[in-house]
Amino acid sequence: MDQMVEIVDVSKSFDKVRAVKSANLSLQRGDFLTIVGPSGCGKTTLLRMIAGFDAPDTGKIRINGREVENTPAHKRSIGMVFQKLALFPHMSAAENIAYPLKMRRFQFDTIPDLVEKYLHLVKLDGLGKRYPHELSGGQQQRVAIARALSFSPDLLLLDEPLSALDRKLRNEMQLEFRRIQQELGVTTINVTHDQREALIMSDQIVVMNEGIIQQAGTPVDMYRNPENMFVANFIGVTSMLKGVVCGSGKNSVSVKIGDATVTARANGEEIAIDAAVDCAIRAEQIRIMDIDSNVGDDFDNAVDGIIKQRIFEGDRVLYAVQADELGGAMLHLFDHDPNSHNEYPINQRVKLGWNSRDLFAFPAETVK
Amino acid sequence: MQSRNSKNIPASWKLLDLAERLLVTIWPARLNKYVGWGFLLPALLLVGILLIGLGYIIEYSFHELDLATYRLKAEYSLTNYHTFINRPVYLHILGRTMLASIIVTIITLILAFPYAYMLVRTRSAMMRKFLLIALFLPFFIGQVVRAYGWLIILGKQGFVNSILTSIGLPELDLIYNFQAIVFGLIQYMLPFAILLIIPAITSISEDFELASEGLGANWVSTFRHVVLPMAKPGLVGSFVVVFTLTMTDFAMPEILGGGTSDFIANAIYDSFFQISNPGLGAALSVLLVAIGSIIVTAIFYFAGTGTLGIRQKTR
Repeated sequence: MDQMVEIVDVSKSFDKVRAVKSANLSLQRGDFLTIVGPSGCGKTTLLRMIAGFDAPDTGKIRINGREVENTPAHKRSIGMVFQKLALFPHMSAAENIAYPLKMRRFQFDTIPDLVEKYLHLVKLDGLGKRYPHELSGGQQQRVAIARALSFSPDLLLLDEPLSALDRKLRNEMQLEFRRIQQELGVTTINVTHDQREALIMSDQIVVMNEGIIQQAGTPVDMYRNPENMFVANFIGVTSMLKGVVCGSGKNSVSVKIGDATVTARANGEEIAIDAAVDCAIRAEQIRIMDIDSNVGDDFDNAVDGIIKQRIFEGDRVLYAVQADELGGAMLHLFDHDPNSHNEYPINQRVKLGWNSRDLFAFPAETVK
Repeated sequence: MQSRNSKNIPASWKLLDLAERLLVTIWPARLNKYVGWGFLLPALLLVGILLIGLGYIIEYSFHELDLATYRLKAEYSLTNYHTFINRPVYLHILGRTMLASIIVTIITLILAFPYAYMLVRTRSAMMRKFLLIALFLPFFIGQVVRAYGWLIILGKQGFVNSILTSIGLPELDLIYNFQAIVFGLIQYMLPFAILLIIPAITSISEDFELASEGLGANWVSTFRHVVLPMAKPGLVGSFVVVFTLTMTDFAMPEILGGGTSDFIANAIYDSFFQISNPGLGAALSVLLVAIGSIIVTAIFYFAGTGTLGIRQKTR
């Protein structure tokens, strides 16, 4: 498979603040990549460099096999959807979609057909004459994506265009963007701070923090095999436990947390005895049980705890449980299917069970 | 809980309480819906008085001067308007005023737009400060003082001519002509135009320009298809202001024109105070107001009510 985007050792500073530090990533033709990270992590800077709005200080950016550092934005073949959409308010939806076609000197008589085609693609047939302010938020999103795609760019960039929508519409538009992307097979880079969006939409995910790429991989990989605490913490609801290694192997370590010793998964590198580690476990991997339950064969770890917080989320209940055995550490966990269960009240003593393969151990401060 | 002890309340609070009670007695809450009109009243009064003055001027304009008594005759006539039409000098002055207004307005807008754009978009704080100071400095110098300043620089023995003669070039006639007036007016109008364009450019997020660029437009196309149309309200606003200010200007043609290139305002002044014909002066004033109003109305009609931020449909 050929590479559509290759970013090699790209760095960028603004006024001595390093926004992106030697980033490397590559993206295959037709793939959907999401760069995810908290605000200020450098993801937007990276996107703007790909678009050509900022120049990297060092490093190479190749798009469709060509190095583009010296190519101005208007000569690159990139469609971008902005966070605030930036639909031209003095042009109708159709004129907005036709704009890149006119600017890129498409044959004049093909333009109306292309506009119709892309209006149809985003399901806005017949709304071409409307002006942006006459369209709903979701319809504006659709015009923005049609405008970014109408000239068949090599690459589509999405700069958090969905962040301003309400949750329901956002979920709808996520699937819609993905459908359009797959229908056209256009290579796409999406930037977001919403880890759920990253998991739902992408073929590939890149997690960034403080200008550094923390991990790159498929959504499943990112979820199942986080390489460091930041990634483990960023995706999903995760509890963090601080401990000390008391027995070590390549794939599993024994960690002393508080008074208890638990087995955790290591990611391939042996950690020295007595080294400090951070352990992480996802809320959905912990099961809550009555205090006198028999854990049995389902779980190979169990501790007692006291419920400190209980949040009803409709389809699940989020509990925060303090485990004295683990040095008073707070564990967060979900209880799905609240109907058939006891709803445990606050201050109730409960038993928690999990499997050691779901507890990740990282050398302390592995956040790059 | 602390008990409410009036000793603990600061004196300024008590004063405010008193003021509030007083206000309630003289302005009961049910009158609150008229508060807006109350605030509008001074402005309405001011405009009203202006309208009364205008009424008097219109009235004057229909009375001919009695050359025997040097008073306006009692009977109504159109003589003053006939004078305007029949004496080529007045049509000539009107034409000159209109021509100067158009030239000054267009050149001013062309100069003001890049300045305002630079001021809004520059990333350098130093640059922005410099441009702001350079913008506001002229406001501290009145129009008459500025015109005299140009006399000193451009006059017969002025700064420019002394340089020219010192390097062996002949003296130039730089003042007391039409070009000098246009030059002085542009220099005077520029800050107004810039101030009116700045908010228009500020309201255009830089994203629109980046979006246009990303979609394949170079900066010329971006300027033409995105920046200019989106800045239209500010441009129309400053067009109207500069045009009307120029059309009614008195000091620049008086001082820099030296009587060689009068505008209507100078002709009105002369009618009232030099040839003592208030009827003719009033007629010229009425014409000036009428022409100005027609032009402004036409501009707003064709440019739409979206200008000046007044929108019929808000979103």
